Amino acid sequence: MAVEYDPELIGKVFEVTDPVDVSAQDIATFCAAMGETNPLYTDEAAAKKGPYGTIVAPPSYAVTFRNGRHFFTQVPRFGRAGFDAGKDVEFHAPIRPGDKITLSSHVKEIYEKTGRSGSMVFVVVRSTVQNQKGEVVAHIDHRFMNRP
Amino acid sequence: MPTILDLHSHSEASEDSRAPLEAYLNWIKLRHQERPVDGIVLTEHRQFNAGADYRALEDKFGLLVLKASEVETDYGHVLVFGVSEEMTQRFDFANVHLDAQELVDEVARMGGVAVPCHPGRPNVGLCEHYGLKPPLENVIAVEVLNGGSRKGEDDRSMELVRTYGYRAVGGSDSHLVSLIALCATRFEADVRSIEALVRELKEGKYQPVDFRPKRKPVPAAVPDEVRHNGG
Repeated sequence: MAVEYDPELIGKVFEVTDPVDVSAQDIATFCAAMGETNPLYTDEAAAKKGPYGTIVAPPSYAVTFRNGRHFFTQVPRFGRAGFDAGKDVEFHAPIRPGDKITLSSHVKEIYEKTGRSGSMVFVVVRSTVQNQKGEVVAHIDHRFMNRP
Repeated sequence: MPTILDLHSHSEASEDSRAPLEAYLNWIKLRHQERPVDGIVLTEHRQFNAGADYRALEDKFGLLVLKASEVETDYGHVLVFGVSEEMTQRFDFANVHLDAQELVDEVARMGGVAVPCHPGRPNVGLCEHYGLKPPLENVIAVEVLNGGSRKGEDDRSMELVRTYGYRAVGGSDSHLVSLIALCATRFEADVRSIEALVRELKEGKYQPVDFRPKRKPVPAAVPDEVRHNGG
């Protein structure tokens, strides 16, 4: 029997976070923690001559923004157990100091598959990462595996 | 002229693969001495992209790229070659509970061929299901060499072939670029199209070929001479 769910779940935004301010210090701290030395992210003078005219955050900085406190209770579940099955991230625009970042999340896809270990239902939740201008800076697809 | 094809591979169109087709073809060109295949068949999970056109990449790399599908049934996973619009209307490829016997029979009636893959694999292979249910009828061939097999799985597949008299094919089941063309199928005939592939699978001469490197003994963590010299 195919997995059953309410089709209205798909595409419905279930959470929007409060804006989070991005500072130059936040980016510097992230770069230090990651061992990132690219001057476009770490050196103000070099970044001014670069393509963005200012320091920007490394692309992976987009995944540091946390989902809201109700995120996990809103993710549809199927069956008895599950786990985080990974993330896919698409980068669209740089994040700059002074940006205010929000995440809005919706269920993108629910599908079933079978493998060595049995049947699985995957729920893909897409978080859209936007700045204060409404520009999408990244999409993050969270993949959750459930055992039906 | 004989043709060697990897009959089972997944590009980034499958949700669990991150391998771009171009990277597969580039890897095959780089490793052609070790994996001398003439082309690959993309068998994306639970889907078939009728409109996808890979001619530019075929020309760029001088390799054949054919399209098929890997679907999921009550007897495990099955490769479907010669997918037509009639087939995709008849079967919902996204349904992981397709009736295997119906699939084998209907695909044949519509001019294609259904080949159960990795039969020795737990849960999604024929062997386990044959222990619980009657064997499928009208199966022509099964995949006995699968690049993703774990220890003993290909042996179980070979045993199935010996028991039921199936013909045997091989495919890498690659989801990663570096694993493409590790297993393949060698056809005696020249195969340059999906129609020719279906014809050869039904009537031609072919055999699975294994390009996986032979396993080497695991070296001791500390070599004897070093250990004995107090190094």
